[in-house]
Amino acid sequence: MSRALEDILFGAPNPKARAAARAMSVAVAAVLLVVAAGIVYQFHAAGQLDARLWKLFAWPTTWGFLAKGMFGTLASATTAAVIALVLGLVLLLGRLSRLRFARWPSVAVIEFLRGVPTLLLIYVCFLVLPSAGIKLSTYWMLTLPVGLSTAAVVAEVYRAGVLAVPRGQTDAARSLGLTEAQVFFFVVFPQALRYIVPALVAQLVIVVKDTTFGYVVTYGELMQNAKVLIANYHALVPVYLVVAVLYCLVNYAISRASKQLGRPMH
Amino acid sequence: MGNVSRLLADYGPAFGQALLLTWKLTAVSFVAGFMLGTVVTVLRLLPLRPLRFVLTVYVEIFRNIPSVALLIFIVFALPDLNVLIDYEPSVILTLALVCSAFTADYLRTGINTVAGGQAEAALSLGMRPIRVITAVVLPQALRAVVQPMTSLLIALMLSTSLASQVPYPGRELTALVAKIANDSAAGMSAFAVAAAMYLASGLLIAWAGAALEKKVRILR
Repeated sequence: MSRALEDILFGAPNPKARAAARAMSVAVAAVLLVVAAGIVYQFHAAGQLDARLWKLFAWPTTWGFLAKGMFGTLASATTAAVIALVLGLVLLLGRLSRLRFARWPSVAVIEFLRGVPTLLLIYVCFLVLPSAGIKLSTYWMLTLPVGLSTAAVVAEVYRAGVLAVPRGQTDAARSLGLTEAQVFFFVVFPQALRYIVPALVAQLVIVVKDTTFGYVVTYGELMQNAKVLIANYHALVPVYLVVAVLYCLVNYAISRASKQLGRPMH
Repeated sequence: MGNVSRLLADYGPAFGQALLLTWKLTAVSFVAGFMLGTVVTVLRLLPLRPLRFVLTVYVEIFRNIPSVALLIFIVFALPDLNVLIDYEPSVILTLALVCSAFTADYLRTGINTVAGGQAEAALSLGMRPIRVITAVVLPQALRAVVQPMTSLLIALMLSTSLASQVPYPGRELTALVAKIANDSAAGMSAFAVAAAMYLASGLLIAWAGAALEKKVRILR
């Protein structure tokens, strides 16, 4: 294991450099504290620290409502993730197929879903499909587009994993007399999954972020419930701050989990 | 096909403007976010604990917050704190902040690809640490991150669609589709045209990124 760049550059300072770094650290800390104090003062000066704006967070009903929103977010994200994992596999199989009429449509679908914003797909489900006579519930107006655009990305992640499995594995499995389907599902794909689990979990962060658009279709996820709270209590800044922190915490936890899974196994 | 040509006759110039606005938002926020991210990366290398801590928190916040939540906060909550930012700068600020966090993340990975021996060699030649970073490490790190930065630019281009979430008078592609779908029955063809424009922009960026990658990549 080679040393990190920071250690090489600043690892063995002489006493003078060390003293300078310490002095600089103190100065930087002081500046940062002043900035933080400035922000707090700005809140105070704008009257955003008034107890009446924050008292709603003392009520269990507020947290219950936010928890319901969080549950909505996670329910939509989970279903979208399942859609993405399954449809992604179908698209991958199409893309790897030797049959041209299976491969080209799969490539087209993957490229299309990857290249169009999720929000645009949500608007199609929300504004365009109803006029064509297709009525979806708000849950599906959000979950389906998110699941579809994630599926295309997941298909590419799967493909990267499959391509990373050494070619000899396929050859060996074939020479043992396994059918093509057996080679893929029993030999190649399980190994591919082990390479890409971190990337798949990281994709979950993007799914959670995309479900934020739930308020566009008025599906009761965290952001939508935040808007309802704001409409009721006029506590714009506190509610948005708390919701932003909640989103950050959930996504940070998922990112951490992905990094843990990404560590080499012994 | 008749639907699309009728739509283009009615809304052709609007689509042209929307595409240009999408490109403009993408380009401005990418340049700003990229520069900010590079600065953050360099500052995180300095042996200043408080600064490193704050910047790590900064990167984690803007990597994990949903962009639309950030945009809504900037547009609707900041005025309550007596900070008023116009709609277009708000969108650019949102995208630039998110872009800077991801840039910092990717660039750090790029820095890790530069062999430590190079920094040691540069130091032994008498270069100052800052000079080692800017003259030896950073140029190589930048060349190593062309591919992830291309993906980031495409993701950013698609994220400009969230400008449709604020009452912004200029309409980018997604806002235009939402308006056409609201006003008329031409939603499906509007969607097809906008999707084609997004796809073409994405392919253009991917192609430019691949060309740049081929030109600057370091074969080890």
